[in-house]
Amino acid sequence: MAIEWYLVLSAMLFSIGLAGVLIRRNPVVILLCLELMLSGGALAMLAFSRLHGDGDGQVFVLMVLVVAASEVVVGLGLVVAMFRRRIPLDVDEMKELRG
Amino acid sequence: MLSAILWTPLVFGLISLLVPRRFAAWAAGAGTVVTLILATIVAIGFDPSGGLQYVVDVTWIPGLGINYSLGIDGISVFLVLLTAIAWVPAVAFTASRGTDRAGLFYFMLLVGQTATLGAFLAQDLLLFVLFFDLMIVPFYFLFGIWGSDRDGVTASSATVKMIVFTLIGSLLMLVGAVAVGVISADGGQLTFNMADLAEAGLPSGSQNWIFWFFAAAFLLKMPAFPLLGWMPDAYRVAPLPALAVFSAVLSKVGAYGFLRVVLPIMPDATELFQTTMLIIALASIIYGSVMAFTKLDLRLILGFSSVAQLGFITLGIFALDSTGANGALLQMINHGLVVVPAFLIVALIAERTGSEEIGPMGGLAKNAPVFAVIFLIVTMATLAIPGSANFIGEFYILNGVFNTDVAIAIIASSGVALAAFYALRMFQRTMHNPLPEGADSREISLRDGLMIVPIVLIMIVLAFCPQIILGDTADSVDATVAISKEAAQ
Amino acid sequence: MNAASWGWLVLLFPLLGSVLIGATFRVLPARTAGLIGIGAIVAAFVCGIAAVVSLQGEPAESRHVTDSLWQYASVGGLSIDLGIYVDPLSLFMVLVVTGVSSLIHIYSYSYMKSDAGYHRFFSYLNFFVFSMLLLVLAGNYVLLIVGWAFVGFASYALISFWYRRETATRAGMKAFVINVVGDIGLVLAAILIFRELGVIDYGAVFEKAPEVFTTTNEWTAVAICLLLLVGAFAKSAQMPFHTWLADAMEGPTPVSSLIHAATMVTAGVYLVGRSYPLFELAPAAADVAAIVGLVTLLVAGTIAIVVTDLKRIIAYSTMSQIGYMFVAVGIGAYSAGFFHLMTHAFFKALLFMAAGSVIAAMANIQNIDRMKGFYRAMPFTAAMLIIGALALSGFPGTSGWFSKDEIIDFASFRGGWYEIFAIGGYIGAFMTAIYSFRIIFRILPGPPCEEAAHLIETGHVVHGEPVNPATGEKEDVEVGYPGEDHHIAEQATGMKIGMSVLGFLALVGGLVQIPGVTEVITHFLEPTFEDSPLAAMHPSVSEAWKGLAKGAVISVVGIAFTWWLYIGRPSVPETLRRTFRPVYTLFVNKWYGDQIIDFLIVRPVKGLGRFADRVFEPFVINGLTGGTIAIVRSAGGAVRDLQSGMLRSYALLMAVGTVAILLYLLIRSL
Repeated sequence: MAIEWYLVLSAMLFSIGLAGVLIRRNPVVILLCLELMLSGGALAMLAFSRLHGDGDGQVFVLMVLVVAASEVVVGLGLVVAMFRRRIPLDVDEMKELRG
Repeated sequence: MLSAILWTPLVFGLISLLVPRRFAAWAAGAGTVVTLILATIVAIGFDPSGGLQYVVDVTWIPGLGINYSLGIDGISVFLVLLTAIAWVPAVAFTASRGTDRAGLFYFMLLVGQTATLGAFLAQDLLLFVLFFDLMIVPFYFLFGIWGSDRDGVTASSATVKMIVFTLIGSLLMLVGAVAVGVISADGGQLTFNMADLAEAGLPSGSQNWIFWFFAAAFLLKMPAFPLLGWMPDAYRVAPLPALAVFSAVLSKVGAYGFLRVVLPIMPDATELFQTTMLIIALASIIYGSVMAFTKLDLRLILGFSSVAQLGFITLGIFALDSTGANGALLQMINHGLVVVPAFLIVALIAERTGSEEIGPMGGLAKNAPVFAVIFLIVTMATLAIPGSANFIGEFYILNGVFNTDVAIAIIASSGVALAAFYALRMFQRTMHNPLPEGADSREISLRDGLMIVPIVLIMIVLAFCPQIILGDTADSVDATVAISKEAAQ
Repeated sequence: MNAASWGWLVLLFPLLGSVLIGATFRVLPARTAGLIGIGAIVAAFVCGIAAVVSLQGEPAESRHVTDSLWQYASVGGLSIDLGIYVDPLSLFMVLVVTGVSSLIHIYSYSYMKSDAGYHRFFSYLNFFVFSMLLLVLAGNYVLLIVGWAFVGFASYALISFWYRRETATRAGMKAFVINVVGDIGLVLAAILIFRELGVIDYGAVFEKAPEVFTTTNEWTAVAICLLLLVGAFAKSAQMPFHTWLADAMEGPTPVSSLIHAATMVTAGVYLVGRSYPLFELAPAAADVAAIVGLVTLLVAGTIAIVVTDLKRIIAYSTMSQIGYMFVAVGIGAYSAGFFHLMTHAFFKALLFMAAGSVIAAMANIQNIDRMKGFYRAMPFTAAMLIIGALALSGFPGTSGWFSKDEIIDFASFRGGWYEIFAIGGYIGAFMTAIYSFRIIFRILPGPPCEEAAHLIETGHVVHGEPVNPATGEKEDVEVGYPGEDHHIAEQATGMKIGMSVLGFLALVGGLVQIPGVTEVITHFLEPTFEDSPLAAMHPSVSEAWKGLAKGAVISVVGIAFTWWLYIGRPSVPETLRRTFRPVYTLFVNKWYGDQIIDFLIVRPVKGLGRFADRVFEPFVINGLTGGTIAIVRSAGGAVRDLQSGMLRSYALLMAVGTVAILLYLLIRSL
């Protein structure tokens, strides 16, 4: 099978994720969408790995999975903490970094 | 050895940051004393005709050709010693008066010393730039945190002014330094070693713009006319011990930069812009002197007198004459030695009268003859009375300028008369005339005397034999000046 | 020991004395300090004599010795030694300085008795003598400048000795700053000498100068000499740098006597004499010296006739007499000039001492209008005043008669336009007779004034409220001002010794230089001026005596005229004053010298300062600063708006940025 289809799928996953991140305000959903973007990237790397016939891409994907897992751990932890402190789960409300 | 001198203050600064508060001052004091001892050993072992000595050269960032390269020669040896000397009374004075957040204060002060020493020791252009930029950071905090607000100026606004100005200069210099390296490498292996850069020679077209990048940074640091806008506010808010070393040593780094970087690496541009620089220096002398005698605030009198003195120093350097440049270097050391006791005396006067304005002051000599005599000696050195080493400095500077441009030398000499007026006025208005109500004419304490008198003694020894300094510096300075002279031919 | 070693000892003793007294002021009893001070100067005097003896042992052509302790500074070929130059001229000055200083130290030992700053006074005074000796013994121009500035400093310190008086500190500042202007002249001269000749030591300079300046009046030679003259005029209070001297009278009277009459102010004369080889190569500059001397001697004479402050009269007379010395060295009458320098040191120091005695008896009032009848109150002082006035006005037989008329003789001997110096000199001599005997006839005869009467009745001087004579303000006596126990007058032994020795010298000091008979000074100084064609010229003995006779007539007529004016017809001065009011106003305001300097120099500089402070600093400098800061701030503001804190807008920016970069790469790869 040609590599294009994998890349198209990967691009679609990435775009859906990006759109979600930009549109949604709920941090849980944003985290989910981030996962989608990461998966899109991972898929592309796998495809290229297959195409070139070496293992580099797969190594990267493993890395990405680890990072994604840790990110979810930290992210969801933050979300739970916010929920406990009754902070509204809305990223637009959190702009203390404003310059 | 030089690495030891360089990092000792930083190490002791860290220690004073970490130890319990009551030991902080001791740690810092020990650091300055150890540095002074090391610097003295180096100065004693210095060979006047040996060129660059005690060289340390370690590859640091090979890809960019940056080396950790230190060395000492006739130009820097006494400036290093001056730095080592100046910090001792500054720390001692702070320790005797106490300060809040002492550990942090000493840490900052000593970081400042390491950075200043680094600027004097660095033989790699980028290392020099790094230390030059690093210098200002601790003083930003020292002035900002421990400074005091005055009429119309807060510590924070003054420091912002200062940092913005000096950072602009630093950025220009960074660009200049990178440009020097890249252009002289010309596609080959990058190097920032100053001797190699001087050897390689820049095309004169590039020299002309790079010259101004460096000159701007150095003139800002001094400060020279007309780039001195940050100086009055910063001087007014600064804590006096920090200001003493700042004015005594940091301002010299600018003048040193001209000798170390600009003259050897950009000889054509130096020759081309010589008259412009002489006029800037002349303007600094006149402007600084005139302002010094309109001001009533002791800090500002000293500040503007520094502007005038740095003007003389710049004048000597850009006379591009052996006597002028040697006189300038001698004057850098003399002025550093004068300024430290002068600012500490201002602090002592402020303790006695509760003010730093000479308007309502007077009569402090009444019960304090020793204090008055010390101040008198410092005053006389400030106005470069013949017989002081300062006079020999000015004499050689004027001689050098005379050989270059008679008119400028004659106008500059009027600065000497103005200096006599403002320096003496400062002395008279504080020490003489009737003692006002509320002022306390108290003799200088033994403890304070021990901080100030050794420096005054050094001044007196130098007055008897300025050749101590000139003998060691002449060879290196002459070599530097010779580069520009060759360019002129 | 050779002369140079003695020369170093001459320098050493006063310096040691000064440092010793200064360092031990807390523990040393006051009288001991005074004795140490006196001892140091006397020791220097003895060493000076030893040096003369040693030098006279040499053949005349090798009577100059140089010696150097160490290299002071040497860079780029400009090498300065810490060296001295001992020859008859410098030793002559050494003897005058240490001799007169010894006597004034002895006088001060008593005069300053009740002063709280006794140690300080003697420490400064010894330091002054050291500086003055350094000035005359220096072996090169740079060391000369050092001595030059040190005497300026010592003079400053002693003028503002009573530093709680604002008038004193202001006068000290004025003296110091004007002297610094002179120093600058010398510095530039030294630089120019080095540039033209490549050397800075006296011997080498005088040797090379004729080789380099082959034609007379080469402009560089003239420039060097004129710059030297700036220094000389400033130090010697010649016009237009004269205004500080009268104000310098704020210092204690012994200081006026030593520094502002006998020694320091003659340094300019010494400088011109020392540099005579240069001045003879630049006769135009020498003429300038002589002309300025003449103008000063006349102007100062007119002022001295009208002012009423006792010390200021003597101060203006000093200016006038130094004018004579400048005329002398300017026209080449070197030995006559230095002879007058010596006799002037005697009689002027004496006059100041006697005046100090009177002023002490007047409880520090210095106005001669208030003084009367001191002949009976203080016979010894009166005698000394009369001796001083006689010598000053050139009464036949006194020292001033021989010295002043020798200068005038030489001027008429040179002839040509130099004749005007002779005419001016005689006019000056007439004025001298008037102002010196004006003092005598105003304060000695007549019914005793209140203070004099008190002295006659009780034998003690009045203990008036200490006031500042310049302003009449009450004085703060806690620091260094004579307190209520300050009741020395002529009874004090030290003062009597000082005055009587000087009185003797003022009377007979001229006998060393009787034309055709002794001429000791001329012979002694001959080796120094051996190369000078001018010094070799001499009016014949008969001409010299003719000149002396003329001088005697003028002096006697002048004294008689003054007698007629103040004793015979006391109403005449008032009538004259009224008739010539504009002239009187001009004189009494000192020809507006202060105002002219104020207008030409002080105000412009102050105006420049105000301009820099009020206009330039706020607008240009701060504008530059403020402008830079504003640029940085607005640039920061622009970036700051992007920092909304909105997480999603950051993400969008990032996405857009990435896409833009990708697009750019894509387009480039096409």
